[in-house]
Amino acid sequence: MFTGVYNFIYFLISLTVSHSQITRLYSRFTSLDKGENGTLCREDFQRIPELAINPLGDRIINTFFPEGEDQVNFRGFMRTLAHFRPIDDHEKNKDPNVSEPLNSRNNKLLFAFRLYDLDKDDKISRDELLQVLRMMVGVNISDDQLGSIADRTIQEADQDGDSCISFTEFIKVNFYTSP
Amino acid sequence: MVRLLALALVGFLSSRELAVSSAGDASFKTSEAHSNALDPRLHNGSELKVFTFDYTHVQAPFEIALWIMLASLAKLGFHLYRRLPAVVPESCLLIMVGLLVGGVIYGAPHQTSPFLSTDVFFLYLLPPIVLDAGYFLPIRLFFENLGTILCYAVLGTFWNVFGIGLSLYGICQVGPFGLGDVSLLQALLFGSLIAAVDPVAVLSVFEEIHVNEQLHILVFGESLLNDAVTVVLYKLFEAFCQMPTISAVDVVAGIGQFFMVAVGGVAVGIVYGFIAALTTRFTEKIQVIEPLSVFLYSYLSYLTSEMFHFSGIMAIITCAVTMKQYVESNVSQKSRTTIKYFMKMWSSVSETLIFIFLGVSTVRDSHDWSWPYISFTLFFCLLWRALGVIFLTSIVNKFRMNTITFKDQFIIAYGGLRGAISFSLVFLLDDFPRKKLFITATIVVILFTVFVQGMTIKPLVELLEVKKTRKAPPTVSEEIHCRLLDHILAGVEDISGHWGQHYWKDKFQYFNKKYLKTFLIRGDKQPNSSIVLFYQKLEKKHAFEFNESEELIRPPHPPGDCQKPAPSVSPLLPDELDSIRTILTRNLFHIRRKTPAYNRHTLQRDGNAEEMKEILLRRRQSLGGNLTRKRGGTSESDKELSKEKRLTRSHTVGSEHKPAVEVAKPLPSDIPASMCATGAGGMENGPGLNESTQSPGGSTRNRRDKPQKTLSFSFQNETQE
Repeated sequence: MFTGVYNFIYFLISLTVSHSQITRLYSRFTSLDKGENGTLCREDFQRIPELAINPLGDRIINTFFPEGEDQVNFRGFMRTLAHFRPIDDHEKNKDPNVSEPLNSRNNKLLFAFRLYDLDKDDKISRDELLQVLRMMVGVNISDDQLGSIADRTIQEADQDGDSCISFTEFIKVNFYTSP
Repeated sequence: MVRLLALALVGFLSSRELAVSSAGDASFKTSEAHSNALDPRLHNGSELKVFTFDYTHVQAPFEIALWIMLASLAKLGFHLYRRLPAVVPESCLLIMVGLLVGGVIYGAPHQTSPFLSTDVFFLYLLPPIVLDAGYFLPIRLFFENLGTILCYAVLGTFWNVFGIGLSLYGICQVGPFGLGDVSLLQALLFGSLIAAVDPVAVLSVFEEIHVNEQLHILVFGESLLNDAVTVVLYKLFEAFCQMPTISAVDVVAGIGQFFMVAVGGVAVGIVYGFIAALTTRFTEKIQVIEPLSVFLYSYLSYLTSEMFHFSGIMAIITCAVTMKQYVESNVSQKSRTTIKYFMKMWSSVSETLIFIFLGVSTVRDSHDWSWPYISFTLFFCLLWRALGVIFLTSIVNKFRMNTITFKDQFIIAYGGLRGAISFSLVFLLDDFPRKKLFITATIVVILFTVFVQGMTIKPLVELLEVKKTRKAPPTVSEEIHCRLLDHILAGVEDISGHWGQHYWKDKFQYFNKKYLKTFLIRGDKQPNSSIVLFYQKLEKKHAFEFNESEELIRPPHPPGDCQKPAPSVSPLLPDELDSIRTILTRNLFHIRRKTPAYNRHTLQRDGNAEEMKEILLRRRQSLGGNLTRKRGGTSESDKELSKEKRLTRSHTVGSEHKPAVEVAKPLPSDIPASMCATGAGGMENGPGLNESTQSPGGSTRNRRDKPQKTLSFSFQNETQE
């Protein structure tokens, strides 16, 4: 019964990600899964050495795990990674969506937004911004400086005056950044 | 300019030596008739001379040393004049020096100009460069891109050879050019030696343009691996030129020879690599010969494969790649440093000598100039390379995850430089009427690619970049969010790996770990997990640096304007905006390195070591929190993490006030004053805030206090804190 369910899910996912990519991702998944029980836990991710020196490594790992769970299966693994699949012209587009590139760029920005927004209220507050900023800078910045940087960031983005950044404001301010 | 004059003087002096040497040769030959034991210290056999000048005795090594000294002085001169290497790549400068010296020698009377003899090049000058390239090859990247590299190297070279050869033959057939005596086979032979991209030239130019590491490995890997194809085709066409008739069997034999050359070279390299690794297993008591074994075995592998007419370059690279991991585990730290430094030194000197000799050999009498042939050669080289790259890339992109963009293709095509290998091969040709024409054409192509393409590739790359970016300076938000996105992308890339060949890689790793490493590595040096190793490396490095600096590490004083306190809420003034920008650019963590770290002139230098240390230390603390939470975790991860805990530096970590599940407070309150002095005050925020992202079930963990550690910079290896 499970194989049937999984087959169907893989079919659904294959509509968005091409088949060869799935096989490659699966081999990566199995190579990360040292316990060989079909799911990944946090330690499996932390074993990747480059991730250890990524300042946002822990948060990225956390996005793989759904709320309150410690294991991620292949479906969840792929779903998170599908945000970042490259936009390939050669790919057969099952649903001819003209705004496809914009869409997936928005998906990446949504991913980044969720990295900031821990309490999931769809707003980035000053404190959440400060937390992320602190993770991204070295030790030589004092908290005052960091606070002023955070203020400046919010001020540039905020348009409705609630001194938080909503997702639409986030998209607008990132108009020129290339994901 | 004074330096150039000095170099010219040295060149002149060396030409003088040659003059004396040739005179000395003559005198020695005549005196040989008189007596074998003619001792210059005796004059007329009766008196003892007080002062003698005996040049012939030391002639050969003296000249060699003089040339090498010229090479190093040239390099020294360029780097002292700071702006020059930015504009003109070093290879061009060296060729110019060679041209100068060659001109001086040419001007001096009664001289035959020294030229790059093929034997000297292939047996003495080329191996150190290739060894250096192979030893510092980024192995993971290389194997991930191996399919693409092989495609470019084998198929691309075939394409280029036949394209250039056939089209040149077509040109020669055109009546008015007067080149009708060049036969098809000769044209193909010329095509085979001119088509190959040269690793020496590629290396020296590419390290100055800082492309991303994937692109670098593609071009560089191609230049290394196409040696097999070049050798086979060259020898094949040369043999065909001698043979009166060519049958289909011969062509098949040629193809078989190709496989033989490639596989044979790799096999020889692997065998010697294992022998070298095994040797270093037993050198614990005699550590001074460890570097020697590395160099000797590599050189032997090169010579052995040349003996069988296999591909020497592939042998030496395979040898270096094979023995590197085992040797690095077995030998002492000093030997490791010695190996690296000597390799850099030899390859640097070799490369300099090659380019200088290239310049010197250009200035000679016997050039045969033919405008149509040479210009068409150049044109076809560029054309066929571009076509080949575009065609092959469109095929390869179907199988690759990271597609090769148009800009990458341009760099690959434009970066196909020819160099000294083509030069030596053309000298190896048997004499036939058009040989001088071929030599001239080869020299022109080499000079063109090195000078024109080498000098312009950097501005062109930057030009291609500029089109994408916009003009206005980015706002602060953009900088931050952009950096965030880059970190995310780097992280996701690392998680997803490079989406291929993991099955074989894992199989190999397993085989490696279980059998090879136990056999080839000393008992006490069996390796740990990669994170532990990596952390150990950083620790050692920091300990060395600390020993040398002998002061406590203090945060550098930020310049005055950064210390201006910013107002709490209201919009900021423009100069404060500038100060914010400066702060950000100086302090934001860099993305993980994407350009290759190895360099012709320096050893691997990790510019981001400080940052990585920072990040690792923060994560260490968050991992420590994880460790207490996951009591049911696998024993392996526990052991790993506890090992990591043991290896942490003694660094004061205040006890943490773990935040409640909602938003964390910025600073724990009980940081000891001594910590602030070491500038590590900001660290607690990181792990503390990370904890709050965990699931709410971890509240017991949240309240656990971290143990206090004492402030000292001693490197604690295995002791508990």
